[in-house]
Amino acid sequence: MKFFTKDRTPRGKILAYCVLVLHGAIALFVPILHLTPTDEQDATTMLQGISVDHWLGTDGLGRDVFSRVLHGGRPSLVIALVATAIAAMIGVLLGSFAALAGGWIDEALSRLIDFLLAVPTLILLLLIASFFGQDPVILSLTLGLMYAPPIARVSRASTQILLARDFVRVARLQGGNGLTILVSEILPNIWQVVFNEIAMQFTWIILAFSSLSFLGLGVTPPTPEWGLMIAEARSYMTINPVSVIAPICMLASLVLAVQALVDHE
Amino acid sequence: MGLSQSSSMLFGGKTSAFRDGNVKSILQRVFFSTCAFVALAAVAFIGIDALPGDGCTALLGRFGTDEQVSECRTENELDQPLINRLGSWANDLVHGDLGYSIKRDQSVDEIILPRIRNTLFLGLVAAVIAFPSAVVIGLLVGRFPKSRVGRIINAGSVIMMTLPEFVTATILWLVFAIWIPIFPGVTVVSSDASLAELLPNVWMPALTLAAVVFAHSMRTTRAGVSVVQMMPFIESARLRGTNERVILFRHILPAALPPVVNAIAVDLAWLFTGTFVTEAVFNYRGLGRLAIDAISDRDTSLILPIVLFSLAMYLTMSLVADIVVKILDPRLRVERR
Amino acid sequence: MNNILSFDQVCVEASSAKAADFPILDSISLNLQQGESLGIVGGSGSGKSTLLRVAMGILARGLSLASGTVVTAGVDLLNVGPEMRQKMYGNKIALVPQSIGEALSPHRTIEGHFKDTLGSAASIEKIVDALVDSGLEGSKFLHRFPHQVSGGERQRILLALALVRSPELLLLDEPTSALDRDVAAEVLATISRLQEKRRFALICVSHDFEVVRRTCSQLAVMNHGRIVERGPTDHVLTKPTDSYTKALLDSIPKPNHRIRESHSMGPNSVISANKISVIRGTKNRVLDSLDFEVRQGEVVGVIGQSGSGKSTLLSVICGLVSPSSGSICTGDGFDLSIPLAKRPLNITGAIQLVFQNPDDSLNPKRTVQQSLSRYSGATVSQLIQVLESVELTSTFLSRYPSEMSGGEKQRVAIARALLTQPKILLLDEVTSALDVNIQAAVFQMLAKVQQSTKMAMVIVSHDLELVASFADRLVVLRDGQAIEHDSAQIR
Repeated sequence: MKFFTKDRTPRGKILAYCVLVLHGAIALFVPILHLTPTDEQDATTMLQGISVDHWLGTDGLGRDVFSRVLHGGRPSLVIALVATAIAAMIGVLLGSFAALAGGWIDEALSRLIDFLLAVPTLILLLLIASFFGQDPVILSLTLGLMYAPPIARVSRASTQILLARDFVRVARLQGGNGLTILVSEILPNIWQVVFNEIAMQFTWIILAFSSLSFLGLGVTPPTPEWGLMIAEARSYMTINPVSVIAPICMLASLVLAVQALVDHE
Repeated sequence: MGLSQSSSMLFGGKTSAFRDGNVKSILQRVFFSTCAFVALAAVAFIGIDALPGDGCTALLGRFGTDEQVSECRTENELDQPLINRLGSWANDLVHGDLGYSIKRDQSVDEIILPRIRNTLFLGLVAAVIAFPSAVVIGLLVGRFPKSRVGRIINAGSVIMMTLPEFVTATILWLVFAIWIPIFPGVTVVSSDASLAELLPNVWMPALTLAAVVFAHSMRTTRAGVSVVQMMPFIESARLRGTNERVILFRHILPAALPPVVNAIAVDLAWLFTGTFVTEAVFNYRGLGRLAIDAISDRDTSLILPIVLFSLAMYLTMSLVADIVVKILDPRLRVERR
Repeated sequence: MNNILSFDQVCVEASSAKAADFPILDSISLNLQQGESLGIVGGSGSGKSTLLRVAMGILARGLSLASGTVVTAGVDLLNVGPEMRQKMYGNKIALVPQSIGEALSPHRTIEGHFKDTLGSAASIEKIVDALVDSGLEGSKFLHRFPHQVSGGERQRILLALALVRSPELLLLDEPTSALDRDVAAEVLATISRLQEKRRFALICVSHDFEVVRRTCSQLAVMNHGRIVERGPTDHVLTKPTDSYTKALLDSIPKPNHRIRESHSMGPNSVISANKISVIRGTKNRVLDSLDFEVRQGEVVGVIGQSGSGKSTLLSVICGLVSPSSGSICTGDGFDLSIPLAKRPLNITGAIQLVFQNPDDSLNPKRTVQQSLSRYSGATVSQLIQVLESVELTSTFLSRYPSEMSGGEKQRVAIARALLTQPKILLLDEVTSALDVNIQAAVFQMLAKVQQSTKMAMVIVSHDLELVASFADRLVVLRDGQAIEHDSAQIR
């Protein structure tokens, strides 16, 4: 993995990798563990503390928090991965194409990117989720479109820097066309910077989606999702703080691990 | 340093006036921003119009009969073609009429203005808490990146920036409203309460927002400082024996400032356009709270002005940032000779 | 004896294992007294810049003092705190670092710089005096910002700033490397006048013997961290004893000495340009109705100061820049004023350009083999053949740019240009980033290539002697216009 780190891997980054792998493993394998079903309500065991039956206690409907917390990353992860892939594809292609084309095409695309950056993200998300239903396909498409502009901007800027470099000019002099130059001279050299930006946007997408769920417009209850779980558990936080703290820890550890791997400079 | 001298330094003094080219480029920028606003406003109108439902379905809900709905539409001229409605809406807008919420049976400006005031108040408190300290701390952390305190602040800022607002808010709430109850947990005053009444309720949402924008602007400052520190003119000043404090404030800070100005502008726009999640968590009656209510009521007559307000805010802030950066940089300000 | 600077058997080593296999500084001993001046000449990596920093008490990260002592104005600067160093800087000792990029704070006026340096002792008279001493009309500069002064003026301001608190020792790192020849000469004259007047001790480090000859009475030559030869400047320059010194001196281009024999050129032109102009921005004419012709097998030297339009001329020929007006075509009459993307492959291949900076002309993520074959589609045996023609071996095929020296990278860049079998090869300051001895070797290699292929070359440089020793004909550019054509006149 040379995407993230420059030379050696410091301990913090190793830890971050482990956390990410753990999150991935949980999300992949939790269905085959046959935990308590996430929607199994039990009016007799509401708001219990930590016990052998319920490792992290139960929530206000008597559902098992441990099971819900382990399942709670799946919707965000799937939607965020799809949305990030869409955003990355649009962003990299749009950005590097703008820089390569230059002239008025570049000017027009840059203005477009600026406009898209000015679009208030959360309003749009709320509108789409509210009026078109909480459809994961529509949501991930919207998220992908909305988070593409920053990636496009970074791709454009770094492509432009590269275009001024002599080896790219030589490639043009040697008869390379736009596509071959993009693939063999530019992408290998901007990939690290662009990947950083993509990883950054991945965390923002996860956060946007869980904020949406927190506001009740992400996943449909009873599907377990961390943002939704925090929103639900807030009302009885004083009775069973674990039901809030557990999803917070899961969400925080996931986004912080990705952030720790991003070179912030 | 006298006032006249400092102002002459700010505008290039005797050497030259503010460059004509700059005035022209600023006017150009204003023109483009206005065009962008008009275009985006039209797109927003058409986009929101295309959403299923309008003011009448919002009012009558799902139990209204088709007849009632069409009667209501005729009454409120919602059955006109799109282009006519766009025209009359734009005409009203130019004359300061934001429209009428059928659902709430109130004019939009009556609903929205107190909310804007509340959101501006909240944003301002958060800005005052966050930005001055962010710039100073960013400057120091950038100057001493290897120090233990610097590393801790650095790591802390990543956490502050990355944690979603509802998590920060929930943690603050847990600490300052439940464990150590010094702030009210939920805003109970009405949306048009006086600022004095509002003040006790503003602290926790303001702290939540401040955490986010503090981290962002602090990191931008720090990154700027660490880039500028590597520049030859800093080393050169140091090797002449220039005082470290002078280097930090007169050489590093001005050179590191432009990205910070941009970051603060974006943050301010964000603070002032209603921070949905935070306002929802604390039930603070600002623009964000209103937007969420309007969206869940499908009250499009309210959604549109809110969208326009936030577009205008973003465009204005980025324009202001551009102008400030131009004024700060002598290379853009003063003619080369 | 009152030494202002003394090095006693100083060794500096790199702490990381993979660094160079020789010490950065290897038992350096030297003493400098008031009024003395020492020039230090060496190639890149010889340790000369490190030596200056050690004198200031600075060791770059990863370096450590293995043995020896350094005493600067009575203080062991390597072993005192930063406050003490700051007190000494400017007061007792000052260093003007090599100016790469911005050497003055872009947001401060010149007056502000002096005020910051002088602190409470600042006064307008003092600042103006310091500027006048450095050969500037002082009061005119006070309110200017750094972007409003020229390169030569900037160097003089830096000099005045370093000397304004009357240090006993002045250290200069490549004081003129960013300047054009004539301006450099004036700045050097100012340095030596100031040194005579103020009697400070001076160390001046450069890769160029000429800089040292004009400013210093003593000369030391450094190679691989050692001082290989030392003595009075004139003596070392005329009667060098060390073999490295001799090699360095031999590789300096001299008048009336040719690297390459002149040849008769063919009758047909390869490129002919008629009244071409290039306009940047609104009015700035980078090229101003220039006529330019290159015949078959001819080597044309183009010289001129920075900003004279010489690089733009090459860009126009190879198509990276389109002329704003005028016509340019090949010998076969193909119109070259159309953009590069619209030229057919055989035309682009026939005109190749090699750039100035070797670090920038190869894709850092690709091996030599990949770089060479990517667009030419050449076979491995063809690649080996072309590498041999630039005096490299086939072992280079698998190397990445980071694993090669500047000279080697530049040879690969030349090889890549040769692969498309160009009719004309454009060379833009190809050796200015290289040390003199490597510079000479590259030109000898180019002479052989030219002899065997008989291709036309246009060689652009700011170095008159070098170009004159290589080209058949010279063109001097000034302000986008050709002012002289005959090489004999320039000699």
